[in-house]
Amino acid sequence: MKTEPEEDVFSERLDLSLWKRVFRHALPYRGYLKRLSVSAVAIAMVDASFALVTRWAVDDVIASGAESGFTPQIAVYVTLTVLLCVGVWIFIRAAGGLANHMSHDIRAESFKRLQELEFAYYDHRPSGWLISRLTSDCDKLSRIIAWGTLDLVWAFCLVVIIGIVLIVLHPVLGLLVLTVVPPLVFISAWFQKRLLLSSRETRKYNSLITASFSEALQGLRTSKALVREEANLDEFRNLSTGMYRVSLQNSLQSAVYIPIVLTLGSTAAGIALWRGGADVISGEMTLGTLVAFIFYAGQFFDPVNQIAEVLVKMQGAQAAGERVLSLLATKPGIKDSEKVKALLEEWKDRERPPGIAPDGGDSEIRSIEFRNVDFCYSETESVLENFNLKVNAGETIALVGASGGGKSTIVNLAARFYEPTGGAILLNGVDLQKRSLAWYQSNLGIVLQGPHLFSGTIRENIRYGHIEASDEEVLVAAKMVNAHDFIQALENGYDTEVGEGGSRLSTGQKQLVSFARALIGDPALFIMDEATSSIDTETEQVIQHGLKAIFHGRISFVIAHRLSTIRGADRILVIDKGQIIESGSHSELLAQKGHYHNLYTRQLRQGFGMAS
Amino acid sequence: MRGFRGRYGGAIACLFVFTVINYITPLVASATIDFALAEKPNDDVLTSLIINLMGGGDYVKGHLWFPAFLMVCLTLCSGFFSYGKDRLAAQASDGLARKLKDRLFNHLQRLPVEYHDRAETGDLIQRCTSDVETLRLALSSQVVAVSNSLLLLLTALPIMVVLDGRMALASFVLIGPIIFFGYFYTKKVKHLFLEVDEAEGQVTRVVQENITGLRVVRAFAQQDFEIEKFAESNRDYRDRSLRLLKLMAWYWSTSDIFVLLQQGFVLFVGVTFIANGSLTVGTLFAFLMFLNMLLWPVRQMGRTLTELGKSLVALTRIGEILQVEEEQPPQDPVKPGRPAKGGLTVKDLCFSYGDGAVLNGFSFQIAPGETLAIVGPSGAGKSTIMSLLLKFYGYDAGSIQIDGMELSGLDTEWVRSQFSVVMQEPFLYSKTIGENIRLSQHSAVDEEVSAAARLADIHETISGFTSGYATLVGERGVTLSGGQRQRVALARAMLQKTPFLLLDDALSAVDADTENRILEALRSRHGKRTTLVIAHRLSTLAHADQIIVMDGGRIVQHGTHDDLVNEDGLYRRLWQIQNDLENEIPLTD
Repeated sequence: MKTEPEEDVFSERLDLSLWKRVFRHALPYRGYLKRLSVSAVAIAMVDASFALVTRWAVDDVIASGAESGFTPQIAVYVTLTVLLCVGVWIFIRAAGGLANHMSHDIRAESFKRLQELEFAYYDHRPSGWLISRLTSDCDKLSRIIAWGTLDLVWAFCLVVIIGIVLIVLHPVLGLLVLTVVPPLVFISAWFQKRLLLSSRETRKYNSLITASFSEALQGLRTSKALVREEANLDEFRNLSTGMYRVSLQNSLQSAVYIPIVLTLGSTAAGIALWRGGADVISGEMTLGTLVAFIFYAGQFFDPVNQIAEVLVKMQGAQAAGERVLSLLATKPGIKDSEKVKALLEEWKDRERPPGIAPDGGDSEIRSIEFRNVDFCYSETESVLENFNLKVNAGETIALVGASGGGKSTIVNLAARFYEPTGGAILLNGVDLQKRSLAWYQSNLGIVLQGPHLFSGTIRENIRYGHIEASDEEVLVAAKMVNAHDFIQALENGYDTEVGEGGSRLSTGQKQLVSFARALIGDPALFIMDEATSSIDTETEQVIQHGLKAIFHGRISFVIAHRLSTIRGADRILVIDKGQIIESGSHSELLAQKGHYHNLYTRQLRQGFGMAS
Repeated sequence: MRGFRGRYGGAIACLFVFTVINYITPLVASATIDFALAEKPNDDVLTSLIINLMGGGDYVKGHLWFPAFLMVCLTLCSGFFSYGKDRLAAQASDGLARKLKDRLFNHLQRLPVEYHDRAETGDLIQRCTSDVETLRLALSSQVVAVSNSLLLLLTALPIMVVLDGRMALASFVLIGPIIFFGYFYTKKVKHLFLEVDEAEGQVTRVVQENITGLRVVRAFAQQDFEIEKFAESNRDYRDRSLRLLKLMAWYWSTSDIFVLLQQGFVLFVGVTFIANGSLTVGTLFAFLMFLNMLLWPVRQMGRTLTELGKSLVALTRIGEILQVEEEQPPQDPVKPGRPAKGGLTVKDLCFSYGDGAVLNGFSFQIAPGETLAIVGPSGAGKSTIMSLLLKFYGYDAGSIQIDGMELSGLDTEWVRSQFSVVMQEPFLYSKTIGENIRLSQHSAVDEEVSAAARLADIHETISGFTSGYATLVGERGVTLSGGQRQRVALARAMLQKTPFLLLDDALSAVDADTENRILEALRSRHGKRTTLVIAHRLSTLAHADQIIVMDGGRIVQHGTHDDLVNEDGLYRRLWQIQNDLENEIPLTD
């Protein structure tokens, strides 16, 4: 399953039920919503009143020559000004406050949900896709809810108020001027949609161009070695030309749109001047009213444009809303059962005697057993079928065999990253699903093939395996895996920054740090998943030396294709097509002269030229 | 960039006509009000001229549709010029941005490897994308907006003075403060915008690290720690945005006060003049319309000017890249007309990256078709030799000769096209697997491609994908494992058929079984290509014609596998490490 990366959908219909659900996330901030709506209505009223003050002043001066001066009009004008500015101040704070709090909350909730979801969820979704959900989608939705509500309320009120004022001032002329509103609405909606689509297209090109630059830089040596500079440039030119085209299209759309709506506004003003002028001549209408009419005619554009923009944006953001809501609605597949939760709650405040875990169960891990375990990633291909294995504390199990045979699946199941689709995994004879997930996983120590470090210092990275560990414990863990020497040799020792993803350390150094990280929590279950395959001979030797101490007293699972790592295991399992086809110690298996023997001798002979 | 000047000139000309027409339109209404409706004839030149052009007050009075129609026509006409200015400005700025991007792309590709070693990829990408975008926006909208405001002001001044000097004065009372307020306020809060951007970036980084390190997070059950870490940056982002918002709320409401007071001032000064008979309603109307047109763009101007400041920074940053010198071809490069035979001689080669020698008096010789293997601890300088052969760096002393021709005098592209390279972490383009293999042999037929893939033992894997060789590599397609990438790159190299093959730890991520099959396949083609192999696993090297053991930039041992195993030295030590396990198994059968 591949998910389209971004906003490829434009919904033809406004899905109100969706927006209602999104809107629910704004409800905790009712205060903001209230202030926002009230200030939007107030501003619309004030906006509509200015032309009336002008009319009042003009009519006053024409009718009476304003012998009494303009004190009342000035007073009203200044009051309106102050009201408007206070209103603007309130609505910016309310809408911005709402948008920020809302996106903060949705983001926090989504992030929390991502921490709970099982690997299967991530398997289908590229990391870039998930990142956009938490960043741009959250912001987009909250902005639409906050500023969109504001704009809609304000714009709608303003159009209605102006409409009422016009009809009250002069019903016939009012209706005549109002005839431009429907085409204005129609044209605005049409153009806004096109603008949205073309600006999306532009963004799409933009991200392609960014990817292209990134590829050019990452593949620089390869491109030079292949003498591909010209070909790369040609491909890039296609993109930059495409971007030029869509970006220009977007500019041209707004270049056409604005003159059209301005002409419509001017038509309304023209109608007012033409029909209103006649009434002024015949004395049915005051000059002040005519002036107000012409001003009003020009005032429609802004709110109608806003309404169109908000509605189009809502249509465009529906896909984003759907994605965020569905993330929030996804239920984690692997979690504590209700019973376990109740137990955890029960034991939360109680004094725990030694040997009792937070869920009231046994805190010591004595054995782990796969009993008749079935597993498949998808319904069509089964990875494990009726798999049985029992491992006791202190035992080291090595898994060998061709890739795709199910080795990683076995350790992923042991770590409870996936749940068996049939059968059960038992911990000290108790079903693993009856124990607390967090407690169980805090007993794991895992070293993966690609050693991934977080940005921060070496000390922080080692401590990641056990946040409460003291500096002393960090040191002990590092010494245990022989990482202490190289760390000491670095300029800032344990406080050396490792860079993003650990980029400032070599692969071997990163792997040593990740070994220390896996061991600092003194895990009962230790897993090495191809942990030595990407490191150089010397580092591997350093690790080899520490392995005995590492395996001591724990249940250990080791996956490796280097036989040197495997040799010391208590039991070696040769896995093929989800089944154990050979099992025994190194010497036992060699004596069997089966698969393992073949694998082993072939590797050795090739390695040392014995075949020649 | 000269080609765009004409377009810009055209845009400015359109802008000017547009502005002038926009000032005339309200004057039509104003003249109609004064001469036809209020019948208070106005003695200023402009209004009289306009009413006369329309046929005089009496004619207009009888034909009120005429000024209305004229207004619509004028707006249409100004719309035409508005379109013209937007179109020309967009063509110029988008065109410029495209040209700039193409140039940057090409330039980056041709910069020496040394430059890229030091440069930070993320920073370069940002300069080539967001900085160019900043510049494009500056050219397409900000420069246009500022010229628009300036033209509005400059054109307004004479028209207003002609209409009524006192009113013109009243109209400009607060213009200065409005511009200055906008400029200085936004300049003052500029750093807050940067801080908000930074905080947002931090949120993205935390999410990204969390997702890429997902397995580590779960392996140590550190979800709560991660949630807390995220909550911190999420809060920080929200609080910084809110702080900025508070300041912006003051900015917008205060600048609104300025604008509204300016309009109110003109209105009440105007009606006072009307009261004492020195101003007509039409003229006041015209002034109010003018201010309406003028004030909102002018209010934005301060802000836009601040943003233009940003584009100057962007321009410098882009300039810094373009100033770096591209890879220099040798003077009068020798470019042999046909492929090399495959002889390679290296003599007393010395090279350093600046701090300490990497290679120090390095010599060897390979005959066409031979295989040379290089071993040694990391940092011994093995990969450096590959880089020197590909002319990624120039060497300091000594010589490298291909078929007896000195490398430094040879055409760079010719040299590179004599080598096929597979690196430890090979780079695949986000194209299909087939295209990746075919990269420099576009004409290769499908059979050749699959033959190369078979040699690299990747054909089965590729055929297993739903789309086979048409499967896309990367985020939008399949994610290949390290070993699969290495094999695809090897297939590419197999297809290339160049005289030289360079394998730089090229099979490190491939499992032992597969590696053996590949090596066997390679051996069967022994003698066809001169091959240089670097590897950690001695298994990759054992069959080489010569093996060089390097340490600290020097050759410490040189010979065949059998020689070296029997010699006391680094090779035997390395061999023993990997051989440690051998002791206990019987090698009898």
